[in-house]
Amino acid sequence: MEQTKVVLADNEIPRQWYNILSDMPTPMSPPLHPGTGKPVGPEDLAPVFPMNLIEQEVATDRWINIPEPVLEKYLLWRPTPLCRARNFEKILDAPVKIYYKYEGSSPPGSHKPNTAIAQAYYNKAFGIKRLSTETGAGQWGSALSMACAMFGLECRVFMVRISYDQKPYRRLMMATWGTECIPSPSDRTRAGRKILAENPDSPGSLGIAISEAIEDAVGNKDSRYSLGSVLNHVLLHQTVIGLEAHKQLAQIGEYPDVVMGCAGGGSNFAGLSLPFVRDKIHGKKMSVVAAEPASCPTLTRGPFAYDFGDTAMTTPLLPMHTLGHDFLPEPIHAGGLRYHGMAPIVSHLVKEGIVEARAYDQIETFAAGVKWARSEGVIPAPETNHVIAAVVQEAERAKQEGKQKVILFNFSGHGIIDLSAYDAFLSGKLTQHRLTDEEIARALKSIEGFPKP
Amino acid sequence: MSDMEQCSKTSEGLWMRCPRLGGETPFTYCLHEAGELPCHRIIVCWQTFFPVEAYLRKMLSPQKWEEFTDRKPKEKIASLLELIEEAKSKWDEE
Repeated sequence: MEQTKVVLADNEIPRQWYNILSDMPTPMSPPLHPGTGKPVGPEDLAPVFPMNLIEQEVATDRWINIPEPVLEKYLLWRPTPLCRARNFEKILDAPVKIYYKYEGSSPPGSHKPNTAIAQAYYNKAFGIKRLSTETGAGQWGSALSMACAMFGLECRVFMVRISYDQKPYRRLMMATWGTECIPSPSDRTRAGRKILAENPDSPGSLGIAISEAIEDAVGNKDSRYSLGSVLNHVLLHQTVIGLEAHKQLAQIGEYPDVVMGCAGGGSNFAGLSLPFVRDKIHGKKMSVVAAEPASCPTLTRGPFAYDFGDTAMTTPLLPMHTLGHDFLPEPIHAGGLRYHGMAPIVSHLVKEGIVEARAYDQIETFAAGVKWARSEGVIPAPETNHVIAAVVQEAERAKQEGKQKVILFNFSGHGIIDLSAYDAFLSGKLTQHRLTDEEIARALKSIEGFPKP
Repeated sequence: MSDMEQCSKTSEGLWMRCPRLGGETPFTYCLHEAGELPCHRIIVCWQTFFPVEAYLRKMLSPQKWEEFTDRKPKEKIASLLELIEEAKSKWDEE
């Protein structure tokens, strides 16, 4: 019988997180305070983060011990299995072995608890009683809710109203874990009240929700704010994924030629890839690919050009197709379209040429996700579909090049709570193709009466 | 009828999975995501489906267009620090 899963015993779980900052080939520029222009200091962040996490944010030690109470919680679902996608390999019919880390096995169904558990622990240890955060569709909010419940912290989640109305199951998960999930904008904060006064029916935005969560945390000495992506300490906590995968692959005598992850804010991508990036920095020949969302199918079909004319830490991951970006007016090209939501560590690695970013449009990703579900069974989270699309593309490349490849990717979460997204895809509700002139005219006419910005 | 209900009913053929929110949103949401201005990703998200840049140029006043194109998203730490300062001043006022 062929082996499909590699499972580590509880006592084989990594005891330390890996900090890539110790191995960066070039130093990262420190973030600057927008008010003073000086490097950000611990005291600047103290109103929203506990000092033990701020210390991790700037730490340069290569290995950081995982506290025993965090390990105890991790063991509820970790180590996660490393699986071989044999059925998917068969339908791709390419010379590739595909391995994936299944992070959908956590209680909220994604990789997010790897840092939520750690952040809840460090806040509790610092004497904090309540955490606030914002959430879009609720993946992060639900992970933090579970973590707070486990460490006896109160949790308050400001959920963007449009998602609050669309995604009842995630907010019910939060409520079950004891969290107060508040549609944003809300009347709880001055930021929310101001928006509601102008527009009582506002559908909200991530920007408003973040403002509310920060205001909520800053206003109470026993409260802090929690962020589920982008920051260094978040990526640090996620490295438990890649460290496990490293051990699991070693057990079966494999090493990946390509490591892949989907990259929104960068945490799940970094979680799997950073321990392998370390090998690459030290001379290992391999590719590391971040799959990011873009709606332009043409971007993925031609050569990419990345605009790195910016200062460090604002490096874009948005690929500009060398033939297709001329339509962008210069002011937008110079700033407005760049994707600044990416983790500085990941941006820096792209800038250094250690990580490659590729963009995939929504239809391509859902098509890949459906193909996966029909062969491997698990319905992927829509975000995970991006990396599955990247795996499909990599397999096609291997076939064209006639090269054997071992692909490792992070299956960041299942999509059982996101079935409405599949409904939108399968029913053709999502915009599927370049609209014809007639379709454009009809679509724009349909929104004619809507208030203009 | 709320704004979102109106959005849902009127955005025929114009739905997108928002990479920031993680949910499906109508084009009209993207138009208003930043209050008086469209979402900073609106062109990269929609240009492939229809000429949204031309549409925005036509629909926004020259001043709003300039505001929209001049906006530069900040990196995360910088925007957090700004929000901390704003929140502190709000609490100080109370």
